[in-house]
Amino acid sequence: MTPNLRVTIAGVELANPIMTASGCCGYGEELAEAFPLSKLGALVTKSITLKPRLGHKPPRTAETASGMLNAIGLANVGIDQFIAEKIPFLEKQKTRVIVNVAGSSAAEYIEVCSRLNDCPRVDMIELNISCPNVDEGGIEFGINPSMTERIVADVRRVFKRPLIAKLTPNVTDITVIARAAEAGGADALSLINTLIGTSIDINTWRPRLTNNRGGLSGPAIKPVALAMVDKVYNCTRLPIIGIGGIATANDVVEFLLVGATAVQIGTALFIEPDAPVKITRDLTAYLKAKKLGSVRELVGKVRKY
Amino acid sequence: MNRYTPERAPVVSLRHLSCDYYSLRLGPWNRVAQCRPGQFVHVGLPRCDVYFRRAMSIAGVDVARKELEIIFKIFGKGTKALSRLRKGDVLDLLGPLGVPFQPPRKTETCVLVGGGVGFPPLYFLASWLIERGFDPKRIEFFYGGRTSGEIVERSRIKSLGVRFHPVTDDGSFGAKGLVIEAVETYLAEHALKRPRLYACGPGGMLKAADDLALRLAIPGQVSLEAPMPCGFGVCLGCVVPLRAGGHARVCREGPVFEIGEVLL
Repeated sequence: MTPNLRVTIAGVELANPIMTASGCCGYGEELAEAFPLSKLGALVTKSITLKPRLGHKPPRTAETASGMLNAIGLANVGIDQFIAEKIPFLEKQKTRVIVNVAGSSAAEYIEVCSRLNDCPRVDMIELNISCPNVDEGGIEFGINPSMTERIVADVRRVFKRPLIAKLTPNVTDITVIARAAEAGGADALSLINTLIGTSIDINTWRPRLTNNRGGLSGPAIKPVALAMVDKVYNCTRLPIIGIGGIATANDVVEFLLVGATAVQIGTALFIEPDAPVKITRDLTAYLKAKKLGSVRELVGKVRKY
Repeated sequence: MNRYTPERAPVVSLRHLSCDYYSLRLGPWNRVAQCRPGQFVHVGLPRCDVYFRRAMSIAGVDVARKELEIIFKIFGKGTKALSRLRKGDVLDLLGPLGVPFQPPRKTETCVLVGGGVGFPPLYFLASWLIERGFDPKRIEFFYGGRTSGEIVERSRIKSLGVRFHPVTDDGSFGAKGLVIEAVETYLAEHALKRPRLYACGPGGMLKAADDLALRLAIPGQVSLEAPMPCGFGVCLGCVVPLRAGGHARVCREGPVFEIGEVLL
Protein backbone atom coordinates (compact mmCIF):
# COMPACT_ATOMS: atom_id res chain seq x y z
CA MET A 1 0.00 0.00 0.00
CA THR A 2 1.25 3.46 -0.86
CA PRO A 3 1.84 5.53 2.28
CA ASN A 4 -0.31 8.62 2.70
CA LEU A 5 1.67 11.84 2.27
CA ARG A 6 -1.23 14.20 2.96
CA VAL A 7 -0.84 16.72 5.75
CA THR A 8 -3.05 19.52 7.02
CA ILE A 9 -1.85 22.97 8.04
CA ALA A 10 -4.47 25.19 9.70
CA GLY A 11 -7.28 23.32 7.98
CA VAL A 12 -5.66 23.48 4.54
CA GLU A 13 -4.94 20.03 3.18
CA LEU A 14 -1.70 19.57 1.23
CA ALA A 15 -0.97 16.67 -1.15
CA ASN A 16 2.37 16.20 0.58
CA PRO A 17 4.51 18.02 3.14
CA ILE A 18 6.94 19.45 0.57
CA MET A 19 6.74 23.18 -0.19
CA THR A 20 9.14 25.50 -1.93
CA ALA A 21 10.74 28.21 0.19
CA SER A 22 10.13 31.86 -0.53
CA GLY A 23 12.74 33.56 -2.67
CA CYS A 24 13.91 30.30 -4.20
CA CYS A 25 11.26 29.73 -6.85
CA GLY A 26 10.14 33.20 -8.02
CA TYR A 27 6.41 33.04 -8.68
CA GLY A 28 6.59 29.45 -9.93
CA GLU A 29 6.85 30.08 -13.66
CA GLU A 30 10.44 28.88 -14.10
CA LEU A 31 10.04 25.94 -11.73
CA ALA A 32 6.97 24.76 -13.69
CA GLU A 33 9.36 24.11 -16.58
CA ALA A 34 11.35 21.70 -14.43
CA PHE A 35 8.39 19.69 -13.09
CA PRO A 36 4.59 19.99 -12.77
CA LEU A 37 3.86 22.11 -9.72
CA SER A 38 1.11 19.65 -8.77
CA LYS A 39 3.95 17.56 -7.34
CA LEU A 40 4.33 20.15 -4.56
CA GLY A 41 2.36 20.31 -1.36
CA ALA A 42 2.45 24.07 -1.79
CA LEU A 43 4.29 26.77 -3.69
CA VAL A 44 5.51 29.70 -1.61
CA THR A 45 6.13 32.80 -3.72
CA LYS A 46 8.91 35.32 -3.47
CA SER A 47 8.18 38.09 -0.96
CA ILE A 48 5.66 40.58 -2.31
CA THR A 49 5.79 44.21 -1.23
CA LEU A 50 3.42 47.09 -1.94
CA LYS A 51 5.67 48.71 -4.57
CA PRO A 52 7.99 46.91 -7.00
CA ARG A 53 11.56 46.60 -5.76
CA LEU A 54 14.75 46.13 -7.78
CA GLY A 55 16.68 44.87 -4.78
CA HIS A 56 20.32 45.47 -3.99
CA LYS A 57 23.12 46.00 -6.49
CA PRO A 58 24.95 42.86 -7.57
CA PRO A 59 26.88 40.96 -6.40
CA ARG A 60 24.12 39.84 -4.13
CA THR A 61 24.90 36.15 -3.71
CA ALA A 62 28.07 34.36 -2.61
CA GLU A 63 29.00 30.72 -2.26
CA THR A 64 30.05 29.47 1.17
CA ALA A 65 31.03 26.11 2.65
CA SER A 66 27.93 23.94 2.11
CA GLY A 67 25.71 26.89 1.53
CA MET A 68 25.29 30.41 0.25
CA LEU A 69 24.87 33.99 1.33
CA ASN A 70 22.29 36.19 -0.29
CA ALA A 71 21.29 39.80 0.00
CA ILE A 72 18.85 40.13 -2.89
CA GLY A 73 16.96 42.87 -1.05
CA LEU A 74 13.38 41.72 -1.65
CA ALA A 75 13.44 42.27 -5.41
CA ASN A 76 9.86 41.70 -6.56
CA VAL A 77 7.21 42.97 -8.97
CA GLY A 78 4.99 44.59 -6.31
CA ILE A 79 1.42 43.67 -5.43
CA ASP A 80 -0.27 45.28 -8.49
CA GLN A 81 1.79 43.42 -11.05
CA PHE A 82 1.70 40.26 -8.93
CA ILE A 83 -2.10 40.23 -9.01
CA ALA A 84 -2.30 41.24 -12.68
CA GLU A 85 0.39 38.95 -14.10
CA LYS A 86 1.36 36.23 -11.66
CA ILE A 87 -1.98 35.24 -10.12
CA PRO A 88 -3.40 34.20 -13.56
CA PHE A 89 -0.49 31.75 -13.91
CA LEU A 90 -0.96 30.48 -10.35
CA GLU A 91 -4.72 30.03 -11.01
CA LYS A 92 -3.79 27.25 -13.43
CA GLN A 93 -1.47 25.39 -11.06
CA LYS A 94 -2.83 22.41 -9.21
CA THR A 95 -1.07 23.06 -5.94
CA ARG A 96 -1.66 25.15 -2.84
CA VAL A 97 -0.47 28.73 -3.19
CA ILE A 98 1.12 30.55 -0.28
CA VAL A 99 2.06 34.18 -0.89
CA ASN A 100 4.94 35.52 1.15
CA VAL A 101 4.46 39.17 2.13
CA ALA A 102 7.05 41.68 3.30
CA GLY A 103 6.79 45.33 4.19
CA SER A 104 8.57 48.25 5.76
CA SER A 105 5.59 49.36 7.86
CA ALA A 106 2.49 47.84 9.41
CA ALA A 107 0.41 49.82 6.92
CA GLU A 108 2.25 48.21 4.01
CA TYR A 109 1.72 44.67 5.35
CA ILE A 110 -1.97 45.43 5.95
CA GLU A 111 -2.48 46.90 2.48
CA VAL A 112 -0.80 44.00 0.67
CA CYS A 113 -2.56 41.35 2.74
CA SER A 114 -5.98 42.91 2.32
CA ARG A 115 -5.43 42.96 -1.46
CA LEU A 116 -4.52 39.27 -1.29
CA ASN A 117 -7.63 38.55 0.75
CA ASP A 118 -9.56 39.38 -2.43
CA CYS A 119 -7.63 36.74 -4.43
CA PRO A 120 -9.35 33.40 -3.72
CA ARG A 121 -6.44 31.52 -5.33
CA VAL A 122 -4.21 32.52 -2.43
CA ASP A 123 -4.64 29.70 0.08
CA MET A 124 -2.44 31.17 2.79
CA ILE A 125 -0.13 34.08 3.50
CA GLU A 126 3.31 33.68 4.94
CA LEU A 127 4.37 36.87 6.73
CA ASN A 128 8.03 37.63 6.20
CA ILE A 129 8.94 39.35 9.46
CA SER A 130 12.44 37.99 9.26
CA CYS A 131 14.28 39.26 6.15
CA PRO A 132 17.80 40.17 7.31
CA ASN A 133 18.65 42.09 4.15
CA VAL A 134 16.67 45.31 4.22
CA ASP A 135 17.28 48.28 6.48
CA GLU A 136 13.71 49.02 7.39
CA GLY A 137 10.92 46.64 8.32
CA GLY A 138 11.22 42.93 7.78
CA ILE A 139 13.36 41.60 10.57
CA GLU A 140 12.65 44.64 12.72
CA PHE A 141 9.19 43.15 13.35
CA GLY A 142 10.51 39.64 13.82
CA ILE A 143 13.11 40.28 16.52
CA ASN A 144 10.73 42.08 18.88
CA PRO A 145 7.95 40.04 20.50
CA SER A 146 5.49 42.89 20.96
CA MET A 147 5.96 44.06 17.35
CA THR A 148 5.58 40.47 16.15
CA GLU A 149 2.33 40.08 18.03
CA ARG A 150 1.00 43.41 16.79
CA ILE A 151 1.84 42.90 13.10
CA VAL A 152 0.33 39.41 13.10
CA ALA A 153 -2.80 40.74 14.82
CA ASP A 154 -3.07 43.64 12.35
CA VAL A 155 -2.83 41.35 9.34
CA ARG A 156 -5.12 38.82 11.01
CA ARG A 157 -7.92 41.39 10.83
CA VAL A 158 -7.68 41.88 7.05
CA PHE A 159 -6.75 38.39 5.83
CA LYS A 160 -9.42 35.81 6.50
CA ARG A 161 -7.56 32.65 5.53
CA PRO A 162 -4.67 30.92 7.32
CA LEU A 163 -1.72 33.06 8.24
CA ILE A 164 1.82 31.75 8.69
CA ALA A 165 4.48 33.77 10.51
CA LYS A 166 8.00 33.14 9.19
CA LEU A 167 10.49 33.46 12.02
CA THR A 168 14.09 34.59 12.09
CA PRO A 169 16.80 32.62 13.89
CA ASN A 170 18.66 35.88 14.58
CA VAL A 171 17.21 36.27 18.08
CA THR A 172 18.21 35.30 21.59
CA ASP A 173 15.22 33.03 22.13
CA ILE A 174 13.05 32.03 19.18
CA THR A 175 10.37 30.57 21.47
CA VAL A 176 9.53 34.06 22.75
CA ILE A 177 8.86 35.23 19.20
CA ALA A 178 6.95 32.03 18.38
CA ARG A 179 4.61 32.56 21.33
CA ALA A 180 4.17 36.22 20.37
CA ALA A 181 3.11 35.21 16.86
CA GLU A 182 0.70 32.68 18.36
CA ALA A 183 -0.74 35.35 20.66
CA GLY A 184 -1.19 37.65 17.67
CA GLY A 185 -3.33 35.01 15.96
CA ALA A 186 -0.95 33.18 13.60
CA ASP A 187 -2.28 29.83 12.39
CA ALA A 188 1.14 28.32 11.71
CA LEU A 189 4.83 29.11 12.02
CA SER A 190 7.58 28.62 9.48
CA LEU A 191 11.20 28.60 10.52
CA ILE A 192 13.97 29.38 10.05
CA ASN A 193 14.73 32.31 7.75
CA THR A 194 18.42 32.81 6.96
CA LEU A 195 21.16 33.42 9.50
CA ILE A 196 22.99 36.72 9.22
CA GLY A 197 26.48 36.26 7.84
CA THR A 198 29.09 37.70 5.54
CA SER A 199 32.19 36.82 3.53
CA ILE A 200 35.19 38.98 2.60
CA ASP A 201 37.40 38.88 -0.48
CA ILE A 202 40.98 38.93 0.86
CA ASN A 203 42.37 40.40 -2.37
CA THR A 204 40.06 43.40 -2.63
CA TRP A 205 39.27 43.58 1.11
CA ARG A 206 35.64 44.01 0.14
CA PRO A 207 32.63 42.03 1.33
CA ARG A 208 31.39 39.63 -1.34
CA LEU A 209 27.94 41.26 -1.16
CA THR A 210 27.27 44.95 -1.88
CA ASN A 211 24.92 44.88 1.10
CA ASN A 212 28.01 43.98 3.21
CA ARG A 213 26.03 41.26 4.97
CA GLY A 214 23.53 38.69 3.88
CA GLY A 215 21.55 35.67 4.91
CA LEU A 216 23.15 32.25 5.14
CA SER A 217 21.21 29.26 3.79
CA GLY A 218 21.84 25.75 2.53
CA PRO A 219 22.99 22.53 4.23
CA ALA A 220 25.30 24.55 6.51
CA ILE A 221 22.33 25.81 8.54
CA LYS A 222 20.34 22.58 8.84
CA PRO A 223 21.50 21.65 12.37
CA VAL A 224 20.60 25.14 13.61
CA ALA A 225 17.18 24.96 11.98
CA LEU A 226 16.46 21.51 13.39
CA ALA A 227 17.31 22.62 16.93
CA MET A 228 15.06 25.66 16.57
CA VAL A 229 12.12 23.66 15.21
CA ASP A 230 12.56 21.30 18.15
CA LYS A 231 12.48 24.19 20.64
CA VAL A 232 9.46 25.83 19.06
CA TYR A 233 7.54 22.54 18.80
CA ASN A 234 7.80 22.21 22.55
CA CYS A 235 6.45 25.69 23.29
CA THR A 236 3.47 26.17 20.97
CA ARG A 237 0.48 24.27 19.64
CA LEU A 238 0.77 25.78 16.18
CA PRO A 239 1.73 23.59 13.24
CA ILE A 240 5.33 24.16 12.18
CA ILE A 241 6.79 24.33 8.70
CA GLY A 242 10.48 23.45 8.91
CA ILE A 243 13.00 25.30 6.73
CA GLY A 244 16.78 25.24 6.58
CA GLY A 245 19.15 23.34 4.34
CA ILE A 246 16.74 20.58 3.36
CA ALA A 247 17.99 18.76 0.27
CA THR A 248 16.97 15.11 0.72
CA ALA A 249 14.11 12.99 2.04
CA ASN A 250 16.30 12.08 5.03
CA ASP A 251 16.50 15.77 5.90
CA VAL A 252 12.71 15.98 5.70
CA VAL A 253 12.32 13.02 8.05
CA GLU A 254 14.59 14.71 10.60
CA PHE A 255 12.48 17.87 10.53
CA LEU A 256 9.23 15.91 10.88
CA LEU A 257 10.63 13.93 13.80
CA VAL A 258 11.42 17.11 15.75
CA GLY A 259 7.93 18.42 15.14
CA ALA A 260 7.51 19.96 11.69
CA THR A 261 4.24 19.10 9.92
CA ALA A 262 5.59 20.25 6.57
CA VAL A 263 8.87 21.58 5.19
CA GLN A 264 10.16 24.04 2.62
CA ILE A 265 12.92 23.41 0.10
CA GLY A 266 14.94 26.50 -0.70
CA THR A 267 18.58 26.69 -1.71
CA ALA A 268 18.55 23.03 -2.84
CA LEU A 269 16.37 24.12 -5.78
CA PHE A 270 19.33 26.08 -7.13
CA ILE A 271 21.39 22.91 -7.34
CA GLU A 272 18.57 20.57 -8.36
CA PRO A 273 15.47 22.32 -9.68
CA ASP A 274 13.50 19.06 -9.50
CA ALA A 275 14.62 18.26 -5.92
CA PRO A 276 11.01 18.28 -4.58
CA VAL A 277 10.06 15.45 -6.95
CA LYS A 278 13.00 13.29 -5.85
CA ILE A 279 12.42 14.11 -2.19
CA THR A 280 8.74 13.13 -2.36
CA ARG A 281 9.61 9.88 -4.10
CA ASP A 282 12.33 9.04 -1.56
CA LEU A 283 10.06 10.01 1.34
CA THR A 284 7.47 7.51 0.11
CA ALA A 285 10.18 4.84 -0.05
CA TYR A 286 11.28 5.66 3.51
CA LEU A 287 7.72 5.36 4.84
CA LYS A 288 7.29 2.03 3.05
CA ALA A 289 10.56 0.70 4.44
CA LYS A 290 9.51 1.76 7.94
CA LYS A 291 6.03 0.26 7.35
CA LEU A 292 4.32 3.57 8.14
CA GLY A 293 0.89 4.28 6.67
CA SER A 294 1.13 8.07 6.87
CA VAL A 295 3.78 10.73 6.96
CA ARG A 296 1.91 12.23 9.93
CA GLU A 297 3.10 9.34 12.06
CA LEU A 298 6.57 10.92 12.08
CA VAL A 299 5.64 14.34 13.43
CA GLY A 300 7.25 15.04 16.78
CA LYS A 301 8.26 11.41 17.29
CA VAL A 302 11.94 12.01 17.96
CA ARG A 303 13.07 9.64 20.75
CA LYS A 304 14.99 11.99 22.98
CA TYR A 305 17.52 11.01 25.59
CA MET B 1 13.91 16.00 -22.43
CA ASN B 2 13.75 18.81 -19.89
CA ARG B 3 16.64 21.24 -19.86
CA TYR B 4 15.85 22.34 -16.30
CA THR B 5 16.53 18.94 -14.77
CA PRO B 6 20.02 17.52 -14.22
CA GLU B 7 21.24 15.01 -16.81
CA ARG B 8 24.37 12.87 -16.47
CA ALA B 9 27.40 13.66 -18.61
CA PRO B 10 30.49 11.43 -18.33
CA VAL B 11 33.94 12.91 -18.94
CA VAL B 12 35.33 11.85 -22.33
CA SER B 13 38.61 13.73 -22.05
CA LEU B 14 40.32 16.61 -20.31
CA ARG B 15 43.07 18.31 -22.27
CA HIS B 16 45.46 20.93 -20.93
CA LEU B 17 45.83 23.71 -23.52
CA SER B 18 48.25 26.28 -22.08
CA CYS B 19 48.61 28.49 -19.02
CA ASP B 20 45.52 27.67 -16.95
CA TYR B 21 43.33 26.77 -19.92
CA TYR B 22 41.70 23.37 -20.38
CA SER B 23 39.36 21.71 -22.86
CA LEU B 24 36.81 19.34 -21.34
CA ARG B 25 34.79 16.98 -23.51
CA LEU B 26 31.64 15.46 -22.03
CA GLY B 27 29.33 12.83 -23.40
CA PRO B 28 27.27 11.08 -24.32
CA TRP B 29 24.88 13.81 -23.20
CA ASN B 30 21.35 13.56 -24.50
CA ARG B 31 20.76 17.24 -25.09
CA VAL B 32 23.74 18.02 -27.33
CA ALA B 33 21.56 18.49 -30.41
CA GLN B 34 19.63 21.29 -28.67
CA CYS B 35 22.75 23.37 -27.93
CA ARG B 36 23.14 26.67 -29.79
CA PRO B 37 26.12 29.06 -29.80
CA GLY B 38 25.90 31.50 -26.89
CA GLN B 39 24.10 29.07 -24.60
CA PHE B 40 25.64 27.54 -21.50
CA VAL B 41 25.40 24.46 -19.36
CA HIS B 42 25.21 24.56 -15.56
CA VAL B 43 27.77 22.05 -14.39
CA GLY B 44 27.24 20.09 -11.19
CA LEU B 45 30.58 19.01 -9.76
CA PRO B 46 31.18 15.62 -8.27
CA ARG B 47 31.47 15.38 -4.49
CA CYS B 48 33.86 18.11 -3.43
CA ASP B 49 33.61 21.31 -1.41
CA VAL B 50 32.05 23.22 -4.31
CA TYR B 51 28.40 23.91 -3.51
CA PHE B 52 26.99 25.77 -6.52
CA ARG B 53 26.91 24.55 -10.06
CA ARG B 54 29.26 26.36 -12.45
CA ALA B 55 27.92 28.07 -15.56
CA MET B 56 30.12 27.20 -18.55
CA SER B 57 29.61 28.43 -22.09
CA ILE B 58 29.55 25.76 -24.75
CA ALA B 59 32.63 25.75 -27.01
CA GLY B 60 31.34 23.18 -29.45
CA VAL B 61 29.23 20.07 -29.98
CA ASP B 62 29.62 16.81 -31.83
CA VAL B 63 26.01 15.85 -32.44
CA ALA B 64 26.84 12.42 -33.91
CA ARG B 65 28.82 11.42 -30.81
CA LYS B 66 26.52 13.33 -28.45
CA GLU B 67 29.54 15.18 -27.06
CA LEU B 68 29.99 18.75 -25.99
CA GLU B 69 33.13 20.74 -25.32
CA ILE B 70 33.78 23.29 -22.61
CA ILE B 71 36.94 25.40 -22.61
CA PHE B 72 37.74 26.97 -19.25
CA LYS B 73 40.46 28.73 -17.34
CA ILE B 74 41.22 28.03 -13.68
CA PHE B 75 39.90 30.97 -11.65
CA GLY B 76 38.80 29.46 -8.35
CA LYS B 77 37.95 26.23 -6.64
CA GLY B 78 35.17 25.26 -9.07
CA THR B 79 37.37 25.46 -12.15
CA LYS B 80 40.22 23.93 -10.14
CA ALA B 81 37.97 20.93 -9.44
CA LEU B 82 37.08 20.74 -13.15
CA SER B 83 40.79 20.67 -14.01
CA ARG B 84 41.20 17.54 -11.86
CA LEU B 85 38.54 15.48 -13.57
CA ARG B 86 39.44 12.17 -15.15
CA LYS B 87 37.97 10.16 -17.97
CA GLY B 88 35.02 8.25 -16.59
CA ASP B 89 34.11 10.80 -13.90
CA VAL B 90 30.47 11.76 -14.22
CA LEU B 91 29.12 15.30 -14.00
CA ASP B 92 25.50 16.30 -14.21
CA LEU B 93 24.40 19.22 -16.31
CA LEU B 94 21.39 21.50 -16.51
CA GLY B 95 20.88 22.97 -19.92
CA PRO B 96 21.36 24.08 -22.54
CA LEU B 97 20.39 27.33 -20.80
CA GLY B 98 20.09 30.97 -21.80
CA VAL B 99 19.37 32.82 -24.99
CA PRO B 100 21.72 31.95 -27.92
CA PHE B 101 23.35 34.39 -30.32
CA GLN B 102 21.11 35.71 -33.08
CA PRO B 103 22.77 34.34 -36.27
CA PRO B 104 23.82 36.92 -38.91
CA ARG B 105 22.03 37.36 -42.21
CA LYS B 106 23.78 35.72 -45.17
CA THR B 107 24.81 39.13 -46.50
CA GLU B 108 26.44 40.29 -43.27
CA THR B 109 30.05 40.10 -42.10
CA CYS B 110 30.62 38.68 -38.63
CA VAL B 111 33.07 40.53 -36.42
CA LEU B 112 33.78 38.21 -33.51
CA VAL B 113 35.58 39.78 -30.57
CA GLY B 114 36.77 37.42 -27.88
CA GLY B 115 38.80 38.38 -24.84
CA GLY B 116 40.57 35.70 -22.78
CA VAL B 117 38.20 33.02 -21.65
CA GLY B 118 35.38 34.76 -23.57
CA PHE B 119 36.46 33.14 -26.81
CA PRO B 120 34.75 29.67 -26.55
CA PRO B 121 31.16 30.71 -27.40
CA LEU B 122 32.52 32.69 -30.36
CA TYR B 123 34.45 29.66 -31.57
CA PHE B 124 31.20 27.67 -31.34
CA LEU B 125 29.36 30.41 -33.26
CA ALA B 126 31.98 30.48 -36.04
CA SER B 127 32.08 26.71 -36.49
CA TRP B 128 28.29 26.42 -36.27
CA LEU B 129 27.80 29.08 -38.95
CA ILE B 130 30.40 27.55 -41.26
CA GLU B 131 28.82 24.10 -40.92
CA ARG B 132 25.60 25.69 -42.11
CA GLY B 133 27.21 27.19 -45.21
CA PHE B 134 28.26 30.64 -43.99
CA ASP B 135 31.35 31.84 -45.88
CA PRO B 136 34.31 31.63 -43.43
CA LYS B 137 35.96 34.55 -45.23
CA ARG B 138 33.15 36.72 -43.95
CA ILE B 139 34.05 35.94 -40.35
CA GLU B 140 36.61 38.31 -38.82
CA PHE B 141 37.76 36.54 -35.65
CA PHE B 142 39.47 38.91 -33.18
CA TYR B 143 40.92 37.21 -30.13
CA GLY B 144 42.72 39.11 -27.42
CA GLY B 145 44.77 37.86 -24.49
CA ARG B 146 47.40 39.14 -22.13
CA THR B 147 50.19 37.05 -23.63
CA SER B 148 50.75 34.46 -26.33
CA GLY B 149 49.86 31.58 -24.01
CA GLU B 150 46.37 33.01 -23.52
CA ILE B 151 45.52 32.71 -27.21
CA VAL B 152 44.54 29.05 -27.10
CA GLU B 153 43.39 26.70 -29.86
CA ARG B 154 44.81 28.97 -32.58
CA SER B 155 45.32 26.16 -35.06
CA ARG B 156 41.69 25.12 -34.66
CA ILE B 157 40.54 28.68 -35.23
CA LYS B 158 42.75 29.03 -38.29
CA SER B 159 41.57 25.72 -39.70
CA LEU B 160 38.02 27.07 -39.78
CA GLY B 161 39.24 29.29 -42.61
CA VAL B 162 38.14 32.49 -40.89
CA ARG B 163 40.14 35.72 -40.95
CA PHE B 164 42.01 35.36 -37.67
CA HIS B 165 43.25 38.45 -35.81
CA PRO B 166 45.10 37.56 -32.62
CA VAL B 167 46.01 40.45 -30.32
CA THR B 168 48.09 40.39 -27.14
CA ASP B 169 48.72 43.08 -24.54
CA ASP B 170 52.48 42.46 -24.72
CA GLY B 171 52.70 41.76 -28.45
CA SER B 172 54.05 38.24 -27.83
CA PHE B 173 51.59 36.87 -30.40
CA GLY B 174 49.70 38.74 -33.12
CA ALA B 175 49.19 42.48 -32.92
CA LYS B 176 50.19 44.36 -29.79
CA GLY B 177 47.62 46.24 -27.75
CA LEU B 178 44.00 45.88 -26.75
CA VAL B 179 41.67 43.80 -28.87
CA ILE B 180 39.07 46.56 -29.19
CA GLU B 181 41.70 49.01 -30.49
CA ALA B 182 42.62 46.41 -33.10
CA VAL B 183 38.96 46.03 -34.07
CA GLU B 184 38.49 49.77 -34.35
CA THR B 185 41.59 50.21 -36.52
CA TYR B 186 40.57 47.30 -38.74
CA LEU B 187 37.04 48.63 -39.22
CA ALA B 188 38.46 52.05 -40.12
CA GLU B 189 40.85 50.57 -42.69
CA HIS B 190 38.52 48.00 -44.24
CA ALA B 191 35.10 48.71 -45.66
CA LEU B 192 33.41 45.56 -44.33
CA LYS B 193 30.12 44.67 -45.91
CA ARG B 194 27.35 45.07 -43.31
CA PRO B 195 29.35 44.19 -40.20
CA ARG B 196 27.66 42.56 -37.20
CA LEU B 197 29.56 42.41 -33.93
CA TYR B 198 29.58 39.54 -31.44
CA ALA B 199 31.63 40.06 -28.28
CA CYS B 200 32.41 37.99 -25.23
CA GLY B 201 35.11 38.67 -22.67
CA PRO B 202 35.97 40.61 -19.52
CA GLY B 203 33.83 43.54 -18.38
CA GLY B 204 36.14 46.31 -19.61
CA MET B 205 36.45 44.73 -23.04
CA LEU B 206 32.69 44.26 -23.33
CA LYS B 207 32.05 47.87 -22.41
CA ALA B 208 34.56 49.03 -25.00
CA ALA B 209 32.99 46.74 -27.62
CA ASP B 210 29.52 48.00 -26.76
CA ASP B 211 30.66 51.63 -26.94
CA LEU B 212 32.40 51.07 -30.27
CA ALA B 213 29.40 49.36 -31.84
CA LEU B 214 27.06 52.12 -30.64
CA ARG B 215 29.43 54.82 -31.94
CA LEU B 216 29.76 53.17 -35.37
CA ALA B 217 26.08 52.12 -35.42
CA ILE B 218 27.02 48.48 -35.93
CA PRO B 219 24.38 45.96 -34.82
CA GLY B 220 25.36 43.02 -32.71
CA GLN B 221 25.36 41.30 -29.39
CA VAL B 222 27.47 40.87 -26.29
CA SER B 223 27.59 37.77 -24.11
CA LEU B 224 27.92 38.35 -20.36
CA GLU B 225 29.26 36.36 -17.49
CA ALA B 226 27.95 36.59 -13.92
CA PRO B 227 28.10 34.52 -10.75
CA MET B 228 25.07 32.33 -11.12
CA PRO B 229 23.70 30.22 -8.26
CA CYS B 230 20.64 28.73 -9.99
CA GLY B 231 21.13 29.35 -13.72
CA PHE B 232 17.43 29.12 -14.54
CA GLY B 233 15.99 32.37 -13.32
CA VAL B 234 14.79 31.91 -9.76
CA CYS B 235 17.53 33.14 -7.44
CA LEU B 236 17.95 36.62 -8.98
CA GLY B 237 21.64 36.55 -8.10
CA CYS B 238 22.98 37.22 -11.60
CA VAL B 239 21.08 40.37 -12.53
CA VAL B 240 22.61 43.26 -14.50
CA PRO B 241 21.21 46.80 -14.84
CA LEU B 242 19.60 47.72 -18.16
CA ARG B 243 19.97 51.07 -19.91
CA ALA B 244 16.18 51.31 -20.11
CA GLY B 245 15.98 50.79 -16.34
CA GLY B 246 15.38 47.72 -14.29
CA HIS B 247 17.36 44.51 -14.14
CA ALA B 248 17.75 41.52 -16.42
CA ARG B 249 18.83 38.05 -15.39
CA VAL B 250 22.02 37.01 -17.17
CA CYS B 251 20.93 33.36 -16.96
CA ARG B 252 17.47 33.85 -18.41
CA GLU B 253 17.18 37.07 -20.47
CA GLY B 254 20.89 36.60 -21.33
CA PRO B 255 23.69 35.68 -21.36
CA VAL B 256 23.47 37.21 -24.85
CA PHE B 257 22.18 40.79 -24.95
CA GLU B 258 21.78 43.31 -27.79
CA ILE B 259 24.42 46.02 -28.16
CA GLY B 260 23.41 48.95 -25.97
CA GLU B 261 20.89 46.97 -23.95
CA VAL B 262 22.90 46.50 -20.75
CA LEU B 263 24.46 49.24 -18.65
CA LEU B 264 27.98 47.83 -18.80
